[in-house]
Amino acid sequence: MPDGSVTISQLDLELRRIRKRYGSFTAVDDVSLQVGKGQFVCLLGPSGCGKTTTLRCIAGLEEPDDGDILIGGKEVTGDPPWKRDIAMMFQDFALFPHMTVAKQVGFGLEMLGKPKAEIAKRVAEVLKAFEITSLAERKPASLSGGQKQRVALARAMITEPRILLLDEPIGALDYSLRETVMLELKMLQQRSGISFIWVTHDQNEAFSLGDLVVVMNHAKIEQQGTPEEILARPRTPFVAGFVQGNNVFHGEAGTAAGGVLRVACPVGEFLVPLADLPAPAPGAAVSFSVRAERIADRPDPTLPNRVTARCTAVEFFGAVRRHILELADGEVLKYDQFGALAPRILPGQTVDLGWRAEDSVLHDAVLQG
Amino acid sequence: MSTIRANSPAAYWLAAPAALWMLAAVVVPTLLLVWVSFWGGRAFSTASPLTFDNYLRFFSNQAYLGLVAATFGQALLLMAITGTLGYCIAYFMTMKVSNARWRTALFLAFIIPFWTSTLIRAIAWVPFLGVNGVINQALIGLGLTTKPVEAFLYSMTGVTMAQVSLYTMLAAGPVVYMLTSIQPALREAAMTLKATPFTVWRRITFPLTLPGVVIGQVLVFLNVMSDFATVATIGGNKHALLGNLVLNFYEGSQIRFAAVVAVLLMVCMLAGVALALRVVDIRKLGT
Repeated sequence: MPDGSVTISQLDLELRRIRKRYGSFTAVDDVSLQVGKGQFVCLLGPSGCGKTTTLRCIAGLEEPDDGDILIGGKEVTGDPPWKRDIAMMFQDFALFPHMTVAKQVGFGLEMLGKPKAEIAKRVAEVLKAFEITSLAERKPASLSGGQKQRVALARAMITEPRILLLDEPIGALDYSLRETVMLELKMLQQRSGISFIWVTHDQNEAFSLGDLVVVMNHAKIEQQGTPEEILARPRTPFVAGFVQGNNVFHGEAGTAAGGVLRVACPVGEFLVPLADLPAPAPGAAVSFSVRAERIADRPDPTLPNRVTARCTAVEFFGAVRRHILELADGEVLKYDQFGALAPRILPGQTVDLGWRAEDSVLHDAVLQG
Repeated sequence: MSTIRANSPAAYWLAAPAALWMLAAVVVPTLLLVWVSFWGGRAFSTASPLTFDNYLRFFSNQAYLGLVAATFGQALLLMAITGTLGYCIAYFMTMKVSNARWRTALFLAFIIPFWTSTLIRAIAWVPFLGVNGVINQALIGLGLTTKPVEAFLYSMTGVTMAQVSLYTMLAAGPVVYMLTSIQPALREAAMTLKATPFTVWRRITFPLTLPGVVIGQVLVFLNVMSDFATVATIGGNKHALLGNLVLNFYEGSQIRFAAVVAVLLMVCMLAGVALALRVVDIRKLGT
């Protein structure tokens, strides 16, 4: 997509500067998004960030106050949901309690006015594909969470919409089921060629599923990009803080030389590459982040970025040993060590830590608002 | 702490006071009424022989049979009118009034008349419906008619108008309850599956509110069948339904006939409720 070869007609969805207010509360502010054919997009953010409202605007359940929505290149901003080429999966699945599984799965086809025989045939196929044939005559109240999720998905996908909107689709499932279901959904999305817009507050979901991850906060898009881009180069302190494993530093811009900026922080001075950003004016407030696994303990004296910190806790995540440390100004620093079986730092110890200049990621000052 | 099991002695003891009360206040009087309705002979005494004479005489009288038909007719008419009106009001209050304060205010406006007794509410209609009543004054004032309409008071039209106002909330209340218990996401899901608003109502909302509709209809049916106050005050002496007949027989000291009509009324009402329960399983409400 970034190479510009995508023309408008190839987009499944385009949002142009949409805005939605409820009274004095702005739920969605100036959100623009392009979704190519068959893309898997995750809208990621904390609750109340506007991701669900954005999804509801795409579905037509809310009408934006401003901006345009295009589905398959066609302007649909004022269209009601039943005129849009979408389907939606709701957080609690929203199964119709009075209808059997077979009836609910066929509901979309029935609404399209398909002949009875064709509906019966398609429903049988879809139930088989989703391995829920045995549930055909059951009503939702007698289904387990995982079964409901399959029924809801079958019901949404039977009409083969251009876009499937999913609002925290696995949030209501048992934790043990989620991993399997995620994998199945990813494979289903790739086979079907339907674009998925998946709303979640869980970054593991977003990063393992999305072709494109859109991080939202306070009604705005903070950053969008591939999972790798967002992990490697968070553009704002919010994104850096929201994504696990980042340490965020705030400081004052110093001089820039050779594409490297000096940043003065309460705990010391650090070298941070400018990368593609313009050099901020000296004295401007800036922030940067460094990933916990990029830090080294007992650093080489030549490393330019160095801090002294006191270890307060050590946590284990399988192969990772995460150290929680306290800096001189009271801020928390996380340091991850991989494959270290023997402890190198114990709680209570004070250690020197350091990282290379290129491991620091400068945040986009313009976005900090 | 343990909970009380449904079949334990404790559960039975807990149910005993209410059961005794029901026995004394409902079951025994009802049985007495049924007994009295079979008394033969002339004397009002427990020694009376038991016969079907009272029932035979009742059913051989065309006027009385006409009254049974009229009572059913009135109940069906009221069920149709209050059912439609009540559903519309319920739908409006739950779906269209999004402001919680307004909803409470409207709801209070609808239920405040129910704080008074049926009799008072029925009598309160008289100044509205009379020849010089509020409605006629308004019609004349608006120039819609020059002569007051006499059909309002002392007519079945007036009775129906009053009963509609008295019983519409009975039809609306259970529907309000059912409507508010439907998750908005269900209607939204139907819309994203290409259902238009009317189809959403027909296929999703209405089936899910049907139990409320049926309960409301049962309440209206029972109230209209047993309503004598409205008919007596607004229908004047010209009109009567089964309830008024009970009163007439009672005032005429024809206790055995009063009992016959009362038993018939009870049978009709039981039949109506039994029919409604075949449509909706009340035990499944609220699940």
